[in-house]
Amino acid sequence: MVGLVRAATVIALKDLSLELRTKTAFASGLVFAVLVLAILFFSRDPTAVASRDIAPGALWVTFTFASILGLNRAFVLEHEQRAMDAILLAPIPRSAIFWGKFAGNLVFVGTIEAVSIPLFVVFYDVAVWPYLPSLLLVIALATVAFVAVGTLFSAIAVRTQYAEMMLPLLLLPFLVPPLVGGVQLTARVLDGRPLSDLGGWLRLIGGFDLAFVTLAALLFPVVLED
Amino acid sequence: MTPDNGAFMVAGYVVAAVILIVYALSLFVRVQGARKR
Amino acid sequence: MTPIDRAFRLARWGGVVTGAALLGVAGVYVRALVYTPVERFQGPAQKIFYIHVPSAWGALLGFAVTGVLSILYLWVKDRRIDIAAAASAEVGVALSVVLLTTGPIWGKPIWGTWWTWDARLTSTLFLFLLFVGYLVMRGVVVDPGLRSRFSAVIGVMGLVLIPFIHLTVYMFRTLHPAPIVLKPSKPSLPGEMLVTLLTSVAVFTVVYLGFLTQRYALGLIRDLREREAAGDA
Repeated sequence: MVGLVRAATVIALKDLSLELRTKTAFASGLVFAVLVLAILFFSRDPTAVASRDIAPGALWVTFTFASILGLNRAFVLEHEQRAMDAILLAPIPRSAIFWGKFAGNLVFVGTIEAVSIPLFVVFYDVAVWPYLPSLLLVIALATVAFVAVGTLFSAIAVRTQYAEMMLPLLLLPFLVPPLVGGVQLTARVLDGRPLSDLGGWLRLIGGFDLAFVTLAALLFPVVLED
Repeated sequence: MTPDNGAFMVAGYVVAAVILIVYALSLFVRVQGARKR
Repeated sequence: MTPIDRAFRLARWGGVVTGAALLGVAGVYVRALVYTPVERFQGPAQKIFYIHVPSAWGALLGFAVTGVLSILYLWVKDRRIDIAAAASAEVGVALSVVLLTTGPIWGKPIWGTWWTWDARLTSTLFLFLLFVGYLVMRGVVVDPGLRSRFSAVIGVMGLVLIPFIHLTVYMFRTLHPAPIVLKPSKPSLPGEMLVTLLTSVAVFTVVYLGFLTQRYALGLIRDLREREAAGDA
């Protein structure tokens, strides 16, 4: 029986190397992020609403939709090629599949987010550099939430007929706490508030992460059963 | 000075009744439909 | 008596309970509209409260039952538990529609706005959407085993989500209080109003139970027919 960490790493690296080869999902995610940031910038009355005011919301809407794009393709290959059967036969713990997929998805979404941030700074004229560590922490916390629930639900959605619609439909209610928390925290961090002031929201997202990463890991094998 | 918003009251009660009745009917109809072989 | 006959009998029983419950609702209507005093500051529209609050109770009851049955299903794997969970979800959705329509109709004259993003309304909205997704998913997954397992997973996740949404909205709201024209009455209700409310809650509980029984029976019938057609015992 191959160990959990090793198996998970292999699965994550497999997904990432497949993605590196074609780069289609990443490129689409990136173009999408630029489009969303730009469109949200223009969807307001510039004389009444400062770009700084809508900036946190725009950033998180971008992250949310780009994540969903990334998650939509998470299990497509395994499903189409029936590769999942082979993975299930392999002598690895079932939970490794979740952790591997989860890690791979985190890297994918994280990369899109990392590239979106400079774009965000440029388009919205927001000072990010002095607050970077806090901002990165906030983004990491909320992203873990999206990706954990999203990994579980994309495994469900891929086996339904309308996969690309089922994933957002099921996922969005679960994005409310991390999304709202993410926006509130980002707004305050970019305003210069110290993290010590923001305990409430940090605890909310932290608690959410703990609960749902655990739950997703526990429930994932149920979804894979045949 | 009690506000005069009886119309909303009526609207609310009617809407709720309609929804409950429609759902109840849908259940009866679906069960009846299942009787036919 | 064959299983399917038993299921039809259960459906009939459920129908009787629903029928009685709906008569009870009619009684609540009379009591609330005619025999309960009008609230002085909010006016007659306040009476929607006697329908709105019990429907909230019913909807949340429905979703909580689905959540608990989902956990049970994952443990016991009896398909009847899945059928019951799905039945409760559908009834919860129906009662949510009552909640989500009576809410704005009550809110407009009292709070001056059709929608307030308060914790209860917003939580119910998202739960409603989640369970609509649950029902849609059940509609598109053909394999019954897969359908039950997917449903159970969503049900359990949904159950854990409820407190987080509630907390999120509460925290959001305490920073951005909505414009309130009149505070809706929730504190000490005078005797008659309290009786009307409690009666209504009891009646709506029976409505939930009647609907649930019928919908569960329907689910059993469909499952039995499906298995007959597939050549199972």
